[in-house]
Amino acid sequence: MESIIKRIEDEIAGFAPKGTSEETGIVRATGDGIAEIDGLEKAIMNEMVLFDPTFDRTLEAALKDADPIYGLVLNLEEDGVRAVILGDSSKVYEGMLVRRVGRLLSIPVGDSLVGRVVNPLGEPVDGKGPTGANIQRPIESEAYGVMDRSPVNTPLHTGIKAIDAMVPIGRGQRELIIGDRGTGKTTIAIDTIINQKSESEATRPICIYVAIGQKESKTAKLVAELSDKGAMDYTIVVTAPASSPAAFQFLAPFAGAAIGEHFMEQGKDAVVIYDDLSKQAVAYRQMSLLLRRPPGREAYPGDIFYLHSRLLERAAKLSKEKGGGSLTALPIIETQEGDISTYIPTNVISITDGQIFVLANLFNQGLRPAIDVGNSVSRVGSAAQTKAMKKVSGKIKLELAQFRELEAFMQFASDLDEGTKKQIDSGRRMTEMLKQPNGKPLPFEMEAAVIFAGVNGFLDTFAPEKTSEAEARLQEYLTREATGVLAAIRTTREISDTIEKDLRGILDKFVERTAE
Amino acid sequence: MDKLYAKALDDLAHASGADTKKLVADLVKHLASSGRTKLLPGILRQLKVIEARRAKLAPSVEVASQSESAHALKEAAAQGIVATKAQVNHALIKGWRARSGGTLIDRSAKRGLIDIYRNVTN
Repeated sequence: MESIIKRIEDEIAGFAPKGTSEETGIVRATGDGIAEIDGLEKAIMNEMVLFDPTFDRTLEAALKDADPIYGLVLNLEEDGVRAVILGDSSKVYEGMLVRRVGRLLSIPVGDSLVGRVVNPLGEPVDGKGPTGANIQRPIESEAYGVMDRSPVNTPLHTGIKAIDAMVPIGRGQRELIIGDRGTGKTTIAIDTIINQKSESEATRPICIYVAIGQKESKTAKLVAELSDKGAMDYTIVVTAPASSPAAFQFLAPFAGAAIGEHFMEQGKDAVVIYDDLSKQAVAYRQMSLLLRRPPGREAYPGDIFYLHSRLLERAAKLSKEKGGGSLTALPIIETQEGDISTYIPTNVISITDGQIFVLANLFNQGLRPAIDVGNSVSRVGSAAQTKAMKKVSGKIKLELAQFRELEAFMQFASDLDEGTKKQIDSGRRMTEMLKQPNGKPLPFEMEAAVIFAGVNGFLDTFAPEKTSEAEARLQEYLTREATGVLAAIRTTREISDTIEKDLRGILDKFVERTAE
Repeated sequence: MDKLYAKALDDLAHASGADTKKLVADLVKHLASSGRTKLLPGILRQLKVIEARRAKLAPSVEVASQSESAHALKEAAAQGIVATKAQVNHALIKGWRARSGGTLIDRSAKRGLIDIYRNVTN
């Protein structure tokens, strides 16, 4: 026994730890989630640093709380650096040792993230254990260049008639959803996610929902809704709730983009929803002011435009040589009193390829989704619209605009001629037809068939206010009686003369039956 | 402004052959002539900050036991960290660590054990 003890003692005595030289700094001051650090002369922008709580403690005390706290270098100054603390900032103290990690802020990505809820550092927050994602990817990366991209040519169906018909979105596009609070912006995004279930698995995009500065209860409700509808099978949720540090809210969209790019580079399609970038801008403003960066308009820092442009520029439709994948971005911006001419909304409008503008007064009138057709545009999506949708939706936008004008005029005029009355009735029917309850997106072929019926007068036998009811009956009828036609529209993506003939026949029968 | 004055004064004071008495006199004269005498307390404060930072980042060597100090000082010097004496820190368990400016060389058993603990638990 004694010899064993002696041997172990000799082993311990002969133990010579091999340490390497590393660059470190010392926290000079800390507060509000920001640390000022002396040293770290060779640190680079966006590099991760590690606040080491073990350095000046005994081994016993150190092992009780050995988890390092990470930080992100955001200011390089003459006499040190400033970093945001990505964790519990109350544990960072003056004099604390800070080590360079030697890599840019990265998150683990991988296919195993699908179905999970993670924070902006890629750590699971859904209580389901480790994500298993093991590919480290920098959250900031340069967007693809012109030669690596191909034009947007594949539709991304939202399942919302008004959008797919009038403001079509293409895969790889950046389409802004903008409007006041409580007007159904998130609903549009969630319906878009749910609708992807109607896509075949081969073409179904991976959806990434980034919740920025939202109540955790709202995010939990949303995840539950997606789970109930089976949409979590192809969805990843990145959450930086209102209670999280500003740095997390600033990083969340970049984390979502990094996850999306992982799938895009595999040749798959991905959709990322940033809900919402106004809150990210506010978080960035808070961080910038604490980092002592000079404030500009509305106290936002000078690079607030670059913050959003470099994020949204990462949405792309890649060329065939690059795998042909795509990343579609659906940023959301919240306006105050419907004012789209303020700083952040105008910035993001100018960056994106179009916007879906939702109006509070339309919402309050019961028109849901409350899309303002006049102000909503899609600059590249029409190139990706299917022939079927193009055929049926050609005149809707113009007719609706005319109807809105007549509607205003109608309030003052008592006598209207027959033609005008007909046009108004048709506009009312169209408006009713474009109403859609939330959580019920329609498959593309059903949308096309319903809009076809609407624009070709098959719903004219119903009073305008009964259009929604008639549409519900029509959908039921088509599901039962027109499976072949619907399948043909889905497969060929157009309404050929033969399909049109068959569809008209079915719709004639529907009109006959409903008239009985 | 006081930060810039303090930095300039510190740079000059550390230049070879600097006469600190003359430097201070010239500074006071300059401040008085330009109507900036009220900056003097701020400059003093900034000089203290610079000094404190320098002290924090000054070369230091820590050893787990006194018997290791000669070896530690020699090793640290070979790595470019020159200190006159080593301080004993029993928390290191065994070995030594040296720090100068932004460079840390940690060859203590404590660091080794914490690294093992992190590798095992993460």
